[in-house]
Amino acid sequence: MPRLLSGAFRLKNDPRILKLPPYLSLLCLLVGIAWLLLLPLDNYSRRTYISENALLPGQVHTYFGGSDQNVFRAYKHEVNSLADSNATNPAINDKLSEIFAGIGLKTARQRYGYRSTSSGVEAHGENIYAILPAPRGDATEAIVLVAAWRNVKGEVNKNGVALLLTLARYFRRWSLWSKDIVFLVTPDSAAGPQAWVDAYHDELHGGRVGSLPVKGGALQGAVAVDFAREGRFRSVHVAYDGVNGQLPNLDLINSVVSIAGGQMGMGVGIQEMWEQRDGYRERLDTMLRGMLKQGLGAASGPHSAFIPYHVDAVTLQPYGEGWQDEMAMGRVIEGTFRSLNNLLEKLHQSFFFYLLMGTERFVSIGTYLPSAMLVAANFTIMAIALWVKSGQPEGEVVPGLEGKKGEKARLVTERHLFLPLGVVTVAQALGVVPLWVFNHTPASLQTTVFAVFLVLNTALPHVLSAILTRTYNPTTQQYQLITSFSLLLLGMFLSSLATLNFSLALIVGLLSSPLSFVRPAGRVAWSVPLAIISPPAVLALTTAVVKDGGLAPVGDVLREAAFGWDVMGMYTPVVVWCVWWPAWLVGNLVVLGRPGRKDKVA
Amino acid sequence: MNGGEVTLGRTARLYIGAAVLRLALFTIFPGLPDLLTGRVEVSTPVTSFKRLQEGLFLYNHNVSPYDGGVYHQAPLFLPLFSLLPSSATFPIFTYLLYVAVDLLSADALLKIADSGEAVSSRLFTSPRREKRWSGFVIAAVYLFNPFTIATCLGRSTSVFTTCAILHAISKAIAGAPISAMIALSFASYLSMYPLLLLPPLLLLGYDRRPAADRTSPIAFTSKHVLVVAGIHSALFGMSYLITGSWEFLRSTYGVQLTLSDLTPNVGLWWYFFIEMFDSFRSFFLAVFWLHLSSYVGGLCVRIRTQPLVVLTLLLGIFAIFKPYPSIADVSLFLAMMPLYRHVFPLMRYTFVVAAVVMYATFLGPAFYHLWIYAGSGNANFFYAITLVWGLGLSLMVCDLTFAILRDEWEVERPEMVGKEIRQI
Repeated sequence: MPRLLSGAFRLKNDPRILKLPPYLSLLCLLVGIAWLLLLPLDNYSRRTYISENALLPGQVHTYFGGSDQNVFRAYKHEVNSLADSNATNPAINDKLSEIFAGIGLKTARQRYGYRSTSSGVEAHGENIYAILPAPRGDATEAIVLVAAWRNVKGEVNKNGVALLLTLARYFRRWSLWSKDIVFLVTPDSAAGPQAWVDAYHDELHGGRVGSLPVKGGALQGAVAVDFAREGRFRSVHVAYDGVNGQLPNLDLINSVVSIAGGQMGMGVGIQEMWEQRDGYRERLDTMLRGMLKQGLGAASGPHSAFIPYHVDAVTLQPYGEGWQDEMAMGRVIEGTFRSLNNLLEKLHQSFFFYLLMGTERFVSIGTYLPSAMLVAANFTIMAIALWVKSGQPEGEVVPGLEGKKGEKARLVTERHLFLPLGVVTVAQALGVVPLWVFNHTPASLQTTVFAVFLVLNTALPHVLSAILTRTYNPTTQQYQLITSFSLLLLGMFLSSLATLNFSLALIVGLLSSPLSFVRPAGRVAWSVPLAIISPPAVLALTTAVVKDGGLAPVGDVLREAAFGWDVMGMYTPVVVWCVWWPAWLVGNLVVLGRPGRKDKVA
Repeated sequence: MNGGEVTLGRTARLYIGAAVLRLALFTIFPGLPDLLTGRVEVSTPVTSFKRLQEGLFLYNHNVSPYDGGVYHQAPLFLPLFSLLPSSATFPIFTYLLYVAVDLLSADALLKIADSGEAVSSRLFTSPRREKRWSGFVIAAVYLFNPFTIATCLGRSTSVFTTCAILHAISKAIAGAPISAMIALSFASYLSMYPLLLLPPLLLLGYDRRPAADRTSPIAFTSKHVLVVAGIHSALFGMSYLITGSWEFLRSTYGVQLTLSDLTPNVGLWWYFFIEMFDSFRSFFLAVFWLHLSSYVGGLCVRIRTQPLVVLTLLLGIFAIFKPYPSIADVSLFLAMMPLYRHVFPLMRYTFVVAAVVMYATFLGPAFYHLWIYAGSGNANFFYAITLVWGLGLSLMVCDLTFAILRDEWEVERPEMVGKEIRQI
């Protein structure tokens, strides 16, 4: 051991070791990316399997069909007439409540109104729900069937609501349910379910959400139906992303896949991969789409609101041209509910952290987390390296110590910490400004405000750098320390975030990876590539490419972000403005910095 | 004279700034105090403000506050807090009390720093004494430390203990050992563990007496131990009168001694004792307590020349190894750290320690969230991060010890100044 230690000491003083970190950190980045690209290979991903034996998916006969088809048509007729007459939310609920009452279910309504004049967030409406008390249970557990009146795209979910009503009538006839079944119809796909789940768990948000007059047992699972299309379909699309990238237990998805794909013989798709093929490209594409969705953290359907409360939920959407009809869709739901009904405790056996790369292939957290951690580690490595470097004497020869060669590297110069700490603190604190602005701008002004911010944001580093040079004229050492602290914070935030939302951490990490190589150059040219990877520029560029329409769609994205922040507790804006943006700002300051001559250090 | 006035004005401005910051946080984010009160990192079973409210409610309804097994704090808090208007209706009075306590602690710290005891005690004067921070800077570092602010906002009752400990040290340095003993008795009455600070505090008080008054050490010790015992019995007597039984001894100190409340915290005890078979419990309780108290003797002997160092190191050790630690204890240790600015250049792991502690600060809440709220992690996640936290803090304590000893060593061996040394 002593020999090893002395070896380590000798190594510590070797000047070559200090040249290493940038390469090491680049290596971390490259390995991180390569790791990600390896995941879709057969050797690195696994086939999905059902962990919870109680689920027994697809093991029961489903009886939905036959005369239920006539019932469905009748309800469809009612729903159509409501939809065609453009009935108001209360009028729809009156009718639905009448139907539920006719089936013999207890119904209740809940009002909600998310409204703040400052932020332009406005969503209000009335949820209606009916509870089928468990014939074989004691009202301690419940499962939910949701159909939003309007789906995520704003289309009227005619078949979905009609199917929900038919299933309510059908489920009522069975005596095998051991959990309460809640049938929930919400006016929209985001605020409505959120309000209902919040109220179910007594989170009333200071009266913005009405309390629920009737409740069942603790929620165990939820299935949402998004069936707005008409005619026959080929496959079912399973949407599973929750708010902030939280995912439902993998067993639930596996059950749906096994019921729809295995038992009913229809296709199953995920992540909007409408064509079903299983090659490397498709798997990678599916995985990357999943990661992007997870990283953005926005709600992807009515199910998203349930997941933060640890209620596993998915949304089922039929798609494609085929020969499956509404009854088949009903049987998929029936089968899923029969499986959920078997559960003895909450879904916990299978994975909560996974990336799906096809309906039957996944990687679990142990396999994919290292890539995000490597990306985060690259920042920490550079931070440590810069810290060590900042302690090295600048000049080659320290007066008075000329002959002593070996001593030089060990001599640590005093570090001047106050200015670097101050700069990093101010940059972090400034992040609150865009966060506040974009969450308090009226919806109509978002695009304008964003354009102004984009311009200001490009000018800001230059102004701040001029002020910094004029007033403090930081030395090389201080620039090194500024970079070091900023990278340390970034690495720290990202590795913490990677445990909560892997994809977001990886995306932010990759986009800010050039920041770990910034050096004071004093040249404006260097700030151009940095300006392109600034958070607002990235936002503008990606929306322009994806939605091809200049700056206009940015307004929608920001509006959605403000809504997500205000209503659904989505923290992506915080990460962007308080983690990524300050790091970018500091990186840019450093690049623009012209280090002054070092003052004489006594 | 003019200079004196300026410093006074500057300090007053610092205190006003700190108070305004705290009151602003209280008022701008009204949800923040309750959020922090609920955090396991801030509130432990023996310092939680929520539990204090429960005890207060029972006390005000003439029920023993220790019924129900929720309240584990000293009985004298109850009359103090029932004098204040209820914190549910007029929270501002509670806030003002906590802000005032923080400022009092900072004031004691300022006096400790300005005395220069940290760089030059009776028996040892550091060759690096020129390089030190003024009391103003040290008080500012304490008052604007995020951990201190979080503790204040979370209204953890450990701020009272912190205040009492700092006043005990400052009085001992001021040459008033009797007052120091009184303050220490209050601290140990409130949370018991400060009693372990008695030996170094006696040394400090003894060293700081004017040479003429320095009587025999034995007489000094016995006199002051008697004072501590006297104050303790008075406080216990008052507690008995308030609660009407001796039950409080078991519910406050008994809980700390036997760790009967296993609510998670940032310390190392809870997980260990959850996992343990009951038959080993008493043995390991004894071992853990013995471990905690064994540092006192060793450090007092080894660093006899600098009793303030012993106090600082002990506070750091308590922040890691006591049964119910929280970030309040760390903030107390971090308050004392800057007194040793002169040995900072001798420390070897400053950056690593800062990085580890900060990583743990962010990962801790994330893992706690995964365990408790998201349900996708388990207790091992949080325990792992408390281990990292403990590791970071123990590195910090070790590094400070190393720097202090090296500073001493360089006085004995001037030829070794600036040479690399190896620990074997």
